[in-house]
Amino acid sequence: MTTQNAPASMYRYEEGLGLWEHRGKVAAVGIGHSPTERRWDGTRDTSVGAISILALQKAMEDAGVTPDQVDGLVIVPVTTTGAFWPEETPLPMDVINSFNTTNDPLDGIAKLSAEWLLQNMPELTNVKYTAYGPTCMSNALNVASQAIGDGLTHTCLVLKAWHNLPGRYYQSGVNAENEVPGTHATRSLWGAPACYGTALQFAEYCRKYGKTHDMMAPFMSNSRRNGLMFPEGYWAQHRPEELTAEDYEYARWIAKPANLFDNDIPIMMAGAYLFSTAERAKDMKQKPVYILNHAASNGKPRSLVPTLAEVESETASTGRKIYEGAGITADDLSFENMYDGFTLFHQFHLEGLGYRGIKFGEALDFYQTDISIEGPNPVSPSGGNIGSGRSRVWLHTDSIQQIQGRAGDRAVTGVKPEIAVSGGPMPLGGNYTVWSATPN
Amino acid sequence: MKKNSKTILISLDIDGTLEIGDPPGDLTMDQVRIAKGKGYIIGTCSDRPISTQRNIFKEHNIEIEFSVSKHMLPDIKKQFEADVYCHIGDRDDLDRQYAIKADYDFMWPDEAAAHEWFKK
Repeated sequence: MTTQNAPASMYRYEEGLGLWEHRGKVAAVGIGHSPTERRWDGTRDTSVGAISILALQKAMEDAGVTPDQVDGLVIVPVTTTGAFWPEETPLPMDVINSFNTTNDPLDGIAKLSAEWLLQNMPELTNVKYTAYGPTCMSNALNVASQAIGDGLTHTCLVLKAWHNLPGRYYQSGVNAENEVPGTHATRSLWGAPACYGTALQFAEYCRKYGKTHDMMAPFMSNSRRNGLMFPEGYWAQHRPEELTAEDYEYARWIAKPANLFDNDIPIMMAGAYLFSTAERAKDMKQKPVYILNHAASNGKPRSLVPTLAEVESETASTGRKIYEGAGITADDLSFENMYDGFTLFHQFHLEGLGYRGIKFGEALDFYQTDISIEGPNPVSPSGGNIGSGRSRVWLHTDSIQQIQGRAGDRAVTGVKPEIAVSGGPMPLGGNYTVWSATPN
Repeated sequence: MKKNSKTILISLDIDGTLEIGDPPGDLTMDQVRIAKGKGYIIGTCSDRPISTQRNIFKEHNIEIEFSVSKHMLPDIKKQFEADVYCHIGDRDDLDRQYAIKADYDFMWPDEAAAHEWFKK
């Protein structure tokens, strides 16, 4: 049977579930990243399949685990950044046929299956459990954590990869069709850019609380600064450009009040982790980072675009779920790495957590204080997607590296990195992980 | 230096337009220097952060008169008096249409690279 999406029963959607039953019994150990590129150049070694294999190999090597010790593989099968293989463009058969193929020629080129990976990584001889965590690394991490806790796998690779093809972002796929099928017909009818829903929520946020878009600037500059200290990231590798308040203020609108820099840059990349049981992790090469909880949200808006009230209700619920299952409070967080792509919802996540005691409507004022990695209240030390390009991976890598003491120049120094939370993407739909230096 | 009779303002996109862009374009930095030497008003108009636009030209030792975002071409027109305003870029939606809307002349990078403004 081919690999399936993880069942809903693996996620912790509800409040009131109590402590996670596997709290502290699962650990992240190894990290593997491919190099980043802006777009695929059409060659074999930079294909999404090739960079995925590279990231997985690096994660095993980093953990000091041999391929035959791995018995689980959880991946995100979707790799698009919004770029789809154009129907009129011939398939790159030379690249496709240089790998072991599945029955889908775009497997390893513009999507990824667990079967394709296993066929092209014959060294993974003992994988008995495979599953998909749809959409995001945040989702796949929830699945891997639960699978290890449940005993379905003991040494599990987790992967998210992204392809980005030449041409304009979001101009292909269904957006290029004359007729829009299914639910797209109601959600994409007016051709609005992807960030418009968040922009509407942010506009309402500014009206309700008397804030302005310019108040985001310190968060933006801080995120890019942190990203430029992330050697695995796109901006650090290719375009070490700072983002000043002036740069941000004068950027053109994409969907006012969301401007160009409120949107992340689509890139090619693959990120992988090696997860294991806490017991096995003790003997691996890197310091284990224990999982205290995973949580999920799946809020249903009453209309096409969630309202600010719905956003705040859901993020508050998410915060409660995160803390309840981990057995911690907001005061226990050393730092936060909630998602930022789009930047304008990072503060929704932050306020839902009640990070450093902030309440709804207070995050933009909080951004005007010291939110740097050197201060007592680090915000997004990873720099997120703003700091390193679209991956939805940096937030997790940074959380692990900070706690392992491997964050390099990006290391938080104003706090001791002991407990962190990361996750996303959307305020009404996401997956979250609580990381800890100790299992309890 | 041969002084032009008309005052010409040239707005340069970067990515896909200049050789140092991502992707590289047809117009070389040496050609920009030639145009600058002819006394034209030269500046950048790109989606790159404004600070980055300035830094790129500083690194290439070319003094430019302005660096702005794509939607700010009308502001440049108010700021500088010229007989000819021209934007050079590689995108229809983000260069040509912005130029037309701001009442600028427009050239594609390959046209610009072959234009007398950028030749000795």
